[in-house]
Amino acid sequence: MSSMHTTWCLRYLLRSRRRSCALAAAVLALSLGMSFGQTTEGRPVPLFTGSVGFLTNVDNGVPELQPIFAPVVLAPIGDHWLIESRGEFSGEFDPRNGRLAGQLDKELDYAQIDYIGSRYVTVTAGRFLTPFGIYNERLYPIWIRKIETLPLIFPIGTGSSDGFMLRGGFAVSPQVSLNYATYFSVMSNTAVLDSDRLTGGRIGLFLPGPRVEVGASFQQLLQEDRSRSTGFHFAWQPNSIPLNLRSEYAWSGAKGSGYWVEAALGLAQVSRWQHTLRHVELVGRGQQYFVGNLDSADSQEYGLPQANTNEGEFGVNYYFRDGMKGTFSYGRQLSSLGNANVWTFGIAYRFVLPMGRTEVQ
Amino acid sequence: MKYRISIVALLAMVASWTLFAFARAPKNNTLPTVNAPTTAEQADSMRVEGEKRFHANCGRCHMSPHKFSPRIMATAVRHMRVRATITDEDMRLILFYMNE
Repeated sequence: MSSMHTTWCLRYLLRSRRRSCALAAAVLALSLGMSFGQTTEGRPVPLFTGSVGFLTNVDNGVPELQPIFAPVVLAPIGDHWLIESRGEFSGEFDPRNGRLAGQLDKELDYAQIDYIGSRYVTVTAGRFLTPFGIYNERLYPIWIRKIETLPLIFPIGTGSSDGFMLRGGFAVSPQVSLNYATYFSVMSNTAVLDSDRLTGGRIGLFLPGPRVEVGASFQQLLQEDRSRSTGFHFAWQPNSIPLNLRSEYAWSGAKGSGYWVEAALGLAQVSRWQHTLRHVELVGRGQQYFVGNLDSADSQEYGLPQANTNEGEFGVNYYFRDGMKGTFSYGRQLSSLGNANVWTFGIAYRFVLPMGRTEVQ
Repeated sequence: MKYRISIVALLAMVASWTLFAFARAPKNNTLPTVNAPTTAEQADSMRVEGEKRFHANCGRCHMSPHKFSPRIMATAVRHMRVRATITDEDMRLILFYMNE
């Protein structure tokens, strides 16, 4: 099937929300049926998982309540296939005229079919998280984030794309692993399946010995202003201390540029008050954003600051148990349009519910 | 013209990667189910290596999860194979370690 034919098929299906939902439901029903029909001899079981949380955000003195529910469905089929999907339902409610008012947003982050063809390549089709940097794909879920507020540069190059992707990770040598992703996305104006026509890729090197990862991302927009975006990422988890250091830089011809650097230190090695401190994690993040040629109207549309902005944040996470944490952070935002204090606190929980028998027969 | 050349170059890269990956794939490349070790020493070695891979890969993004049942872990690790692009060998050893 030629790429033009594939593009036409995707556009036809995505043009109508009914056709898209019917297709997604049919694929999911077929995959779950096939999964349940298999014997249970150590086979993977379909999962209903995801995260739920309740956050309170106080930005420049204005409180905002943010309930979040992000369900994930994982449906493995056979030895090579995986169907996965994640939605997000989030609210933003603030006091207006003595009452709480706001809106509920719903998004389809991804709904994709993966075929793990070999140890070198996985083929993905459908709606997927755009692989630009590491935050969008790996660090976005609320139960994973170290600080609940998103980085200022998050809207650059990220979001969701509709199309196909090749990705994978393999060992180049015992000391180095390479991971990559390359993709093509079609344009879609359907509300839940909106995406741009673009192409791009990401490549990274992971050194498992020192636990260092470095990588770069590239994206070319194939519509409108045909702008280009590039990015770099770095991550390091020293072997001797429970420190997690991460950083991203992103530049876009149309959306400005910036970076963030984040460090998270677990207190499990502190000798005193071990019973409590082993659950505690301290987090700090510094970031800058440069508006470049972006005008204020486009800034609001993309969710980016309207002026050059510096921000420093400090936070504390308390892990009650695996997948459940209480979180608190304070940030000071400095901008030519005014400075602001940003407080965030709340709770996030990751649930895992098998959709089938879990015992091995 | 420039973006057309970019598209052609990207499609050529995609085609060459696909040919390379599927041409090199061994015929019997079923995914884990992990091959059971034949000796106790092998099992210990795989367990130690699996623990190292577990902390090196899983700890990159989130706190270490507690152990789920083998069927749940098999799905979760396959999800990570795709999402976190961990290597095939990482996946097999992590699955072995988590199921011990």
